[in-house]
Amino acid sequence: MATPVRESMQVNMHAAHLDDAVGEVFGLMMGVPCVPGGKNLCEGQETTITAVIGFAGAMSGACTLRCGQQAALRMAECMVGVRPEELDATVKDAIGEVCNMVAGAWKGKHPALAAGCMLSTPAVVTGTNYQLHLQQPEFRVNCNYQFEEHVVSISIICEFIQ
Amino acid sequence: MSEIAALIVDDSSVMRKIVERALRQAGLSLNKVHEASTGVEALDLLKSERVQLILSDINMPMMDGLEFLRQLRMQQLAPDVPVVMITTESSEEHVREAIVAGAQGYIRKPFTAEQVKERVLPLLDLA
Repeated sequence: MATPVRESMQVNMHAAHLDDAVGEVFGLMMGVPCVPGGKNLCEGQETTITAVIGFAGAMSGACTLRCGQQAALRMAECMVGVRPEELDATVKDAIGEVCNMVAGAWKGKHPALAAGCMLSTPAVVTGTNYQLHLQQPEFRVNCNYQFEEHVVSISIICEFIQ
Repeated sequence: MSEIAALIVDDSSVMRKIVERALRQAGLSLNKVHEASTGVEALDLLKSERVQLILSDINMPMMDGLEFLRQLRMQQLAPDVPVVMITTESSEEHVREAIVAGAQGYIRKPFTAEQVKERVLPLLDLA
């Protein structure tokens, strides 16, 4: 009988895997180090952008990436080589792709999720004053990451795991 | 080095730019880069355009990269053109599925230009 995914996953490894995934994505695709740290984003004080990637299959849930406007513009600049002037389609695309790669790299660190968990296409939300509300998750990892002078908040939320 | 035409298939325009940049950094001489945001668009393009290399994402709306690859082979479009999948899906099962569908190479996102060079250049007959 196959071992349920939840039994094979160690909760204390989720954050470590996320740290590794974030470091890989920022390092390889943007050429900048990105490490845990930084203050929480101030809600309502700056336009923020949130990308969401859904997980389905062996695990259902989401990966979210949230940052302020300047961080988003810098991330897009690092990826495409030119700094956009505003939160345009390129920036939203870039943030969605970063979240996509972080989600993929994170799930790839656990064999059962790498094969059995699928990713949605990115959804991106912009706004100045909103909160994310979720049902009771099975586990949740929240972490702030700092690259240059910017902070990015990344979460892995698991609603159900087999 | 001979110049080639490439087709990059990804629903993200940012990722298409990154892939093109990686190909050039890998030393590939590109005389034309075609882009498609869906597998359907890519199949239509290949009915009229000739390319020597195809790179495709897997997770795309409308038609995913594996179905694009199957249709490519079924419709006998670009029959001798190497196809490399570039994707966030990293499991051995996904790699095997891509190879069975007809891919010649597989690159996991995030990637470096060096990895693109290692996986792509050997597939090209650069006389």
